[in-house]
Amino acid sequence: METQSQTVAFDSFLQRMRNPASLDLVRSIKSFIVSFSFYAPNPENDAKRIQDFFSTMEAAIRDHPLWASCTDEEFDNALEGLEKYVMTKLHSRTFASSAEDVKMDQEISEKICLLQTFLRPQHLDIPAVLQNEASWLLAEKELKKINAFKAPREKLLCIMNCCRVINNLLLNASFSEDHVLGGADDFLPVLIYVTIKASSPCSDLFLSLIKVQWVFGCIYHEANPPQLHSNLKFIQSYRREQKLVSEAAYYLTNLVSVKSFILDLNAKSLSIEEIEFEESMQAARLVNRVPQVTSITLDNISTSGRQTDPGPSAATHKRKTNINGGSNYPYMEAEAGELTIIDKPAPGRISPLLADMLASNKMSPNNDNPKDKYSSDNEETPSTPNADAVSTPREKAEELWSSVPLKIGLQELLQTRHYLVFLESKN
Amino acid sequence: MGCASSLPDRSSGRLTGLNNAENSGAPDAKNLRVKLVLLGDSGVGKSCIVLRFVRGQFDPTSKVTVGASFLSQTIALQDSTTVKFEIWDTAGQERYAALAPLYYRGAGVAVIVYDITSPESFTKAQYWVKELQKHGSPDIVMALVGNKADLQEKREVPVQDGKDYAEKNGMFFIETSAKTADNINQLFEEIAKRLPRPSPS
Repeated sequence: METQSQTVAFDSFLQRMRNPASLDLVRSIKSFIVSFSFYAPNPENDAKRIQDFFSTMEAAIRDHPLWASCTDEEFDNALEGLEKYVMTKLHSRTFASSAEDVKMDQEISEKICLLQTFLRPQHLDIPAVLQNEASWLLAEKELKKINAFKAPREKLLCIMNCCRVINNLLLNASFSEDHVLGGADDFLPVLIYVTIKASSPCSDLFLSLIKVQWVFGCIYHEANPPQLHSNLKFIQSYRREQKLVSEAAYYLTNLVSVKSFILDLNAKSLSIEEIEFEESMQAARLVNRVPQVTSITLDNISTSGRQTDPGPSAATHKRKTNINGGSNYPYMEAEAGELTIIDKPAPGRISPLLADMLASNKMSPNNDNPKDKYSSDNEETPSTPNADAVSTPREKAEELWSSVPLKIGLQELLQTRHYLVFLESKN
Repeated sequence: MGCASSLPDRSSGRLTGLNNAENSGAPDAKNLRVKLVLLGDSGVGKSCIVLRFVRGQFDPTSKVTVGASFLSQTIALQDSTTVKFEIWDTAGQERYAALAPLYYRGAGVAVIVYDITSPESFTKAQYWVKELQKHGSPDIVMALVGNKADLQEKREVPVQDGKDYAEKNGMFFIETSAKTADNINQLFEEIAKRLPRPSPS
């Protein structure tokens, strides 16, 4: 709804700008945008110049005859339209424009990649009552949309929507589950977890390995980096200052602190033994080398694979109950096992993990309609993903880790692909 | 304490001089807006205090935001001024302590909460006071709150200790019970009274 009304608002802003009477405004805006090509990018200067320009234009619009008798809302729409127009035009110049930003994005992204392979909700002491798969996936989905927008307002909205989903989860838990409202004590850990799960392309890699969705011989890395740092910096720099207050500022601050927490994260930041942490990080580094070693990459699985192929979705359901005892991101946590299969495809024999996948394919109640999991728009619908969860069999997880391959040959992957396709057709 | 400051809104950073459609009721001498940050160990009942406060007000004209960790509530004072509190909750677990500056930056009020049945939480509260004295804005209004006052039989932090510490550090002190709602409104009314006012111009 909001997006729709905003589109209308933006259209009406453009409409007004087409009016010959606003020619002077249009000229200022265009010459301002053009003026940017005269200077080398400099994040601090750019931010200040743009914020100053917004203020100047605010005054100009306020005094402009076209807006003479407008309501506060119309006036606000004009300023939102201005921000959106200018920042969309200047996006490539201002977003992740410095080498430091790019480096920072990469650093965070790599750290997240590593964490993703082993982080569990219990490492952040997230109470079981808040481990709600439907809510978390929805929050994750909202956050992931951030790179689909160019304007700071829209990007900020993605963060706010993500936070609101978590917020509702917390409120619902306090009403229905008799869980004392923990406020930020509960909110921040969930946001950290969701951010880690939402941001990384690693999960997609593993997911599509088991999905066999990758394009034959097509070699490129999943080109959807989360750019968490750049997104936050972009919003902080270019969202109009008077809009960065109150609830919006609070949620933005929370994501900024999530970023900071992830960057500084070490064994002491989590409820985990130091030795286990180091080992997991080390193992993750080995696993994450896979994409570079083989240069095998993926097609766009987020649209096609996830929603149409019931196999992995079902498999992930199963995995959840098997391995991580209550974590709600099963497909994220299935990588070690899947790689094991890939490493040694035993012709003519179904590996136990694959058998698992197939069995769960039949058993999963969601099998016929895997979309449910992703299209649940109503976070208030309580799901009970943990009802049948058993406690973590650590040995099994460790066994998986110990068999993580260092390297997967292309040949082996191709074999596995045929193998999986074969199994799928059987199924 | 910067109560005599004539530029109160400077302390609340970006909350200064707002005047736009979304934030109707722009702050002025009669309508204050203030960012309040909640600090304290996890489990001391920070969020319960604010929830009590926000839900306990039944003024149908006030716009209320009730979230799990961000809440806003407006109260009217006897001198016909209104104060809109924008309440920022922070995660109290030790592992998030380093993130606190991100939250208290620009706050006009800090409410530091401990649990009267937990001496550790009182020690933690003193840590926050020191941290704010070092790094918070100089004219921030600070309140020390001993929560769970209904648990008298389990009390381990004497009232006098809280009082003495607050006095020594120029803070307002009160004991509350989020459970029985004791002193909750008083806490926020007292804070509101202590806010620096813009000088009429």
